[in-house]
Amino acid sequence: MSDAKVLPPIPEENRYEPREKRAKARTVEARPEGPWKTGAKKFMRNPFAVAGLVLLLIFIGIALLAHWLAPYPPNKLDLMFPNLPAGSSGHLLGTDELGRDVFSRLLYSSRISLTVGFSVAFVSVIVGTLIGAISGYFGGWVDTIAMRIVDVMYSVPSLFLNILILAIFGAKASYMIWVLAFTSWMGVARLVRGNYLQLREMQYVEAAKAIGVSDWRIIFVHLLRNSSAPIIVTATLMVGGAILSESALSYLSLGIQPPSTSWGLMLSNAQASMLTDPMQALYPGLCILIVVLAVNFVGDGIRDALDPRKTTIPQRRLDQWRKRFSKSGI
Amino acid sequence: MTEYLIRRSLQSVLVLFLISILTFAMIHAAPGGPTQVLLAPGLSPEAAKIQAHNLGLDRSVPVQFLSWIGGMLQGDLGHTFKNNIPVGDILWPTVGHTMVLMIAAWLLSLIIAIPWGIYNSTREYGLSDQTSSFISYLGFAMPTFWFGIILQQYFALKRDWLPLSDMYDMDKQGNFGNLLLHLVLPVTVLSLGFLAAYVKYSRSSMLEVLNQDYIRTARAKGLTERKVVFRHALRNALIPIITILGLDLPILVGGAALTERVFNWPGMGRLFVDMAVAREYSVLMSITLVVSVFVVIGNLLADILYAVVDPRVQYGRGGGTAA
Repeated sequence: MSDAKVLPPIPEENRYEPREKRAKARTVEARPEGPWKTGAKKFMRNPFAVAGLVLLLIFIGIALLAHWLAPYPPNKLDLMFPNLPAGSSGHLLGTDELGRDVFSRLLYSSRISLTVGFSVAFVSVIVGTLIGAISGYFGGWVDTIAMRIVDVMYSVPSLFLNILILAIFGAKASYMIWVLAFTSWMGVARLVRGNYLQLREMQYVEAAKAIGVSDWRIIFVHLLRNSSAPIIVTATLMVGGAILSESALSYLSLGIQPPSTSWGLMLSNAQASMLTDPMQALYPGLCILIVVLAVNFVGDGIRDALDPRKTTIPQRRLDQWRKRFSKSGI
Repeated sequence: MTEYLIRRSLQSVLVLFLISILTFAMIHAAPGGPTQVLLAPGLSPEAAKIQAHNLGLDRSVPVQFLSWIGGMLQGDLGHTFKNNIPVGDILWPTVGHTMVLMIAAWLLSLIIAIPWGIYNSTREYGLSDQTSSFISYLGFAMPTFWFGIILQQYFALKRDWLPLSDMYDMDKQGNFGNLLLHLVLPVTVLSLGFLAAYVKYSRSSMLEVLNQDYIRTARAKGLTERKVVFRHALRNALIPIITILGLDLPILVGGAALTERVFNWPGMGRLFVDMAVAREYSVLMSITLVVSVFVVIGNLLADILYAVVDPRVQYGRGGGTAA
C-alpha cells in the first residue's frame, strides 16, 4: 500500500468539465486571426510602410482639397511679377514665367498625377487579371494566344508605343489613361496566369468542380481570393510607375495639355525657362519623387506583410543575433 | 538543342510579324484613317487624292500592308512627307549616336554594379548594402529626366564645368575629348537607372548561390573565403546576370528617349519624340519596328545564352521563355 503511486494531476485541458461550462469557454475563446488581420498588423509594424502610407494619404488629401488649400487659382496670370523667387510675399514658392503661383500649381497638379496613377493601375489590373485568369485556368489555345499577345506587347518598348498612340490619336488626359493601361497590363496578366496554373491543380478546385460549381465561379471567387495578395502588391507598385510615365509623357508635351497642369508639364515649362529661373524645376520633380517613393514603400510593405514566409524581424535583433553568433566562435 | 533554337527563332519571327501588324493597325485605326494621318494637312481634295494614289493609299488594306512590310524587309523605310527624305537617311545615324551614349552608360554601370553587388552579398545589411538599396529606391522612384535637368542646372549653368547639351560643341565636331565631356551628364543620369537594377540583381543572384550546399562544402573543406566567393560562387551567380544583360540589350537602342530629349542628344529616342510632335508617321512606324527588332533579338539572345551557359535548362515543350 505504501508504494502506491501518487497519480500526477490531470492536465487542465483533459479534465472533465460539465458541458455547459465547456460551451461557455468555447464562446469566450477568440477567433484566430485571419491572414488579412495578421498582415495589417505586420504592415503597421514596418516603419517605412507606415511612413509611405501617411505621405500618400497626405498627398491624396492635398489633391482632394487643392481648391481650398491653394492661395491662387492655378492659371491666374500675373504678368507684372513673373519668375519671382521662392519666399516672395504672397508667393510661397515664387511664380513661373507667366506669373502663375508655383505653390498653387503644385497643389493642383497632384490631382492629375494621382488620378492618372490610380486609374491606370485600376484599369490595367482588371484587364490583366481577366486575361491572366482565363488563360491560366483554361490553358490550351486560349493560353497560347493570350501569351503571344503578351509577348508582342512586351517586345515594343512601352514609352515608344505610348508616344506613337498619343501622336496618332491626339494628346488628351483621358486618352493617356487608356494608353498607359493598354501598355501596362501584361505584368499582371503573366503573374495571375502563373498563379492560376498552380492553383487550378489544388484539391479544393477539384472538390468545387465535384459539387458542380461553374468554371467562372471557380475563377472569379475561389481562385481570385487565393491570388489576391500578389495582385494587390502589383497594383500598388503600378501606381508609382503610372505616375512616372504620366510625368514623362507630359514633359514631352504628349500628355496633359494646358490649361490643365501636372508635375510633368511644370517640369517641361521649367526647363524652357531654366536660364531665368533655375529653381522652378526642383519642386515638381521632388513631388513626383516623394509620391512614387511613398507608393513603392507601401507596395513593398504590403508584399512583406502578406507573404506568410516572411516574418518581419527587426534589424536590431538580427544584428544582436549576428553579434552573439560571431562571439560564440562557431 | 537545335530543335529548341529553331522553335525559339520561329517564335521570334512570329512575334515580329504580329508587332508589324500592330503598328500598321495603329495607323489605320486613327480617326479619319491613314489618309488623314499620312497626308499633309490642308490639301485640296483633288491634291489629296493624287497624293493618296502616289502613296498607294487607295489600294486595299492587305495589299498596303504587304507592300509596306516588303519595303521594310528590303531596307526601304519609306519617305518623310514634309521634305520627302528617305527615312533611313535620318534614322541610321541616330542609332549610332544612341549606341555611343548607351554603351558608355551601360559599361560604366556594369563595372560599378557587379563588384558592388558581390561585395554587398558577402556583407548583407551592412552600410554599403544599405547605401545601395537606398540608391536603388531613389533610382526607381525618380523621374530620370528631372535628375537630368537638375544636373544640367548645377553643373552646366551654375558652375559651367560641363557642357549643357548636344553631342559636340559647334566648332569641335568629331573631337573625342569634347565628346567625352558631353557624355558625362547624360551618362550619369542613365547609369543611375542601370546601377539601381544591376546592383540588386548581382547581389540577389550571388546570395542565392552562397546559400547552396556546395558552398557550405567548400567552406567546410577549409577554403579561404576569397576562393569560395570568386572561384565557386561567382561562376554560377553570373548566369542570371548574363541573362538580364541580354534582356536589357534593346534598351541600348531605344531606352534613352527622355534623357536624349533633356540633353538634346541627337539619338533615336529624340528623333522619335520630335517626329511624334511633327506627326511624321512613316518615321514613327519605322523606329517602332526597328526597336522591336532589337528587343526580339535581345530576348532570343538571352534565351540562347542562358541555354548555352546553364546546362540545367530543359529544352522541352513550353520551356520557351525562362519562367
